[in-house]
Amino acid sequence: MRCPTLLALLAGVMLYLVMGALVFRNLESPKESKEHEKLLCTTRDFLGNHSCVTAQNLSDLIKSVVKAVEAGLDVKHSSTNFTSRWDLASAFFFCGTIITTIGFGNLSPRTKWGQLFCVCYALVGIPMFGFLLAGVGDHMGTGLRKAVWKMETLFLKRRISPTYVRIMSAVLSILIGCLIFLAVPTLVFKEVEDWSFLEALYFVVITLTTVGFGDYVAGANRRDGDLFKPLVWLWIVFGLAYFASILTMIGNWLRVLSKKTRAEMEELRAHATDWTQNIQNMSMDFRIPNPLDLNDPFLLQRRRWKRSTRRRVRRGALGHHGRQGVIGENGHLPNRWVSHTRSMTRLEVVRLGGGEVRNEGTRLGPGAVLGADSRVSARSEGRSLGRTVARSLSLSMPAARSVMELDYDLDPVAMMMLQGESVSLSESPESDSRSEVSSSDFHTYDMCTPGQGITFASFDASGSLCTVRGSQGGSRQVFFQEDVRFPVPLQQLPKSHNPTKPIPMSPIFSVKPMPLPMPTPPGCKMLDFFGENLAYIDESSDTLSDRNQPIEGAVSPRPRKPRRRSIRRQLPHRSPLKERRDSDMQPPSNPPTPPPLRD
Amino acid sequence: MSSWYKSWILLTGFILFYVAYLLFGAFVFSTIERPVEDKLKRDIQVLKEEFLNQSCVNATSLENFLERVLQANKYGVSILPNSSASSNWDLASSLFFANTLVTTVGYGHTTPLSDTGKAFSIFYALLGVPFTMLVLTACVQRLMHLVTYGPISMFRQKIGLDPLAATAVHFAILLLVVVLGFFVVPAVVFSYIEDTWSFLDAIYFCFITLCTIGLGDYVPGEKPGQNFRSLYKISVMVYLFVGLMMMYLVLRAFHRMADLHGLTSFFQLPHCDEDIEEDREPIIEAGHEDQHEVEASAKPLDPASQTSYNTINR
Repeated sequence: MRCPTLLALLAGVMLYLVMGALVFRNLESPKESKEHEKLLCTTRDFLGNHSCVTAQNLSDLIKSVVKAVEAGLDVKHSSTNFTSRWDLASAFFFCGTIITTIGFGNLSPRTKWGQLFCVCYALVGIPMFGFLLAGVGDHMGTGLRKAVWKMETLFLKRRISPTYVRIMSAVLSILIGCLIFLAVPTLVFKEVEDWSFLEALYFVVITLTTVGFGDYVAGANRRDGDLFKPLVWLWIVFGLAYFASILTMIGNWLRVLSKKTRAEMEELRAHATDWTQNIQNMSMDFRIPNPLDLNDPFLLQRRRWKRSTRRRVRRGALGHHGRQGVIGENGHLPNRWVSHTRSMTRLEVVRLGGGEVRNEGTRLGPGAVLGADSRVSARSEGRSLGRTVARSLSLSMPAARSVMELDYDLDPVAMMMLQGESVSLSESPESDSRSEVSSSDFHTYDMCTPGQGITFASFDASGSLCTVRGSQGGSRQVFFQEDVRFPVPLQQLPKSHNPTKPIPMSPIFSVKPMPLPMPTPPGCKMLDFFGENLAYIDESSDTLSDRNQPIEGAVSPRPRKPRRRSIRRQLPHRSPLKERRDSDMQPPSNPPTPPPLRD
Repeated sequence: MSSWYKSWILLTGFILFYVAYLLFGAFVFSTIERPVEDKLKRDIQVLKEEFLNQSCVNATSLENFLERVLQANKYGVSILPNSSASSNWDLASSLFFANTLVTTVGYGHTTPLSDTGKAFSIFYALLGVPFTMLVLTACVQRLMHLVTYGPISMFRQKIGLDPLAATAVHFAILLLVVVLGFFVVPAVVFSYIEDTWSFLDAIYFCFITLCTIGLGDYVPGEKPGQNFRSLYKISVMVYLFVGLMMMYLVLRAFHRMADLHGLTSFFQLPHCDEDIEEDREPIIEAGHEDQHEVEASAKPLDPASQTSYNTINR
């Protein structure tokens, strides 16, 4: 986080506190002084009515009584048979409040040994509870998300914009959680404890945020509520897990909103394009494995080399430009932000990626449709060499066409090449003609390469690659062509963070073919962005249980770059191909040896 | 499928162990505290009897009176002579209250009396708690560079320890520094300022506060006639903030260390976020890169999901 942002946040919190203090003072002081007045009246009356009691006696009595009450005694009932407040159920409840750090305080240890034991107990118990909460929240989140996903597919079938669906599902999940963990307990407490609705709601919120004042404690005054207290504790655990995830989500939103500066938006768009490229390549791996594909030595070797070049770029070997977009000018572009941007076009990406996952025969329809859309936009904006234009274009283009990458040196070239590709694709769906067209495009544009001779020279043998491509089927043609021409751009695929699990993991997206709505117009980008972020945030608290489930079709593990933290967390559990990276330092030789597929 | 089963089994095991832990604690507390409570109750009974005997007050009117007094006391209003000067809701105390609300400590020594106050607390907390978490984690993120990564790399380079040992040593030192600086020293200060607190009481208070439990049995600055009360309360606020930050820092360092040592993967727990690469990118020199590679490759690559307050580290 940037320093100014941090300072601004600190100032914001201070201001928030002062504002709260002012409000509380204005709300509470009058009532407090009123209570004081009433108490003075009562005391005077008492002293007046009972003249044998001196003020001193009275104040002594009051002092002792108050001390007893503070020790946790209940002095109102003057029964002589003693029921301890430290019976097993209450003590259990007390331990529960200690460990969840709620700490009501209506009951607390008074002896030295009790306090010492409390300290040691909490030291062990609090981290343990933290783990438990993580595990419970995990499973709970998965279940909830699955339910929400089922609902979403229902909505998506009706062709509502995915952004709205996402927002709706986020709001809905909050509402469902609120209903289960806030509303129902409020009503229960209202009935059982005989509080007003506001008091019950106040108790529920104060407890679930672990503030735990202790002025209202459920089950405190019941002597026969031995089953009630454990039930309350169970509710606290689940409610805490839920509330923690909700508060995390809100915190993430605040974070997202706090970072919306224009410059960063630009960066994010750049990342998004890069990311869409990654998703494409990822989707290739998530396909039903085609043996020819997986063992394709050229493909794999090319990827490795791209990754290595990408790494060298990141380390500054290829000049300054390469590092800028990745990290951001301030050098502190946080993962989450980047991943958010990536999620910007994720919907289109995955849609298309999902489209490309299936085998080409049935797939060409949607792809071609989108291609047709992009063609117009590609042609209209293709000629500009501006980096930003290229990037904004990539946003509006469907994912399969956007080969924008972070190697800014290559941006303009890639752009134009890309347009060449898309043009060729939309116009000629035949593989043979495409390869011819593409080779002609290649020759047309190669003069524009500003010093990228290295990357292209080694792939001059496009003829051989074309033939390989030709056998792969329609919708992948473009992809491979892009591979040929833009080894460096595509290399970003592994470099940058692994995208949120596009197909198997996320309950929102699935491998099954979904109806592909048209990509949203540029005007809706903001909303898209936010909606995507909601989805992203929703999925970013993704669960171990999700990850541990077997993923069909995911054969070749993608190497993870540890840089993109939040995207890493969505990737299924797979072994890294890190050792492969180290051997990637030299450009591929012909013929390259096929690397092992898995470690 | 086996790893999925494993996670379920581990979770169940965790829950069972946790319940057993709670029962154990309940038993111990009960055994320790009950006798003391007995004695106190008997003393109060005796006091009441004496009072009733030597005066013309009858039991019911005394009961009523006491009920009113206790009610007021619950709200922090006291009838005793020298405590009528300071309000519980002047600006400094309100600020202190807002702070305890937002950091989820929640002492409860003063609570909102009016309905409006309660409703306002709800919304204030709903917004303020994540806000505070955000600020704290942002600060911790920045501090981590200073406190963790720097020393660790220094250990590795100057002393030449391997990463695992370096992180362990660093964590031990960090823990020692935090305990000394944020528990022992403040406890000494508190026990000096507060007359009725012993040293153990003060340490108990520091611990309960910094873990955000906030039982409320000890609250600083509540003594009637406290000098510089506002300043005192505000400095306690600052101590609370900084102490919380340090606790998060320690937690995070521990999490990272556990990651590195493979503990988190063993228990199938969420892993530490990999922001180390990202945030250090521009500052990193060539020498550190292999460390990151080593660290990165040493960590198993399960994504992290933070759902606990205490482990929110972003």
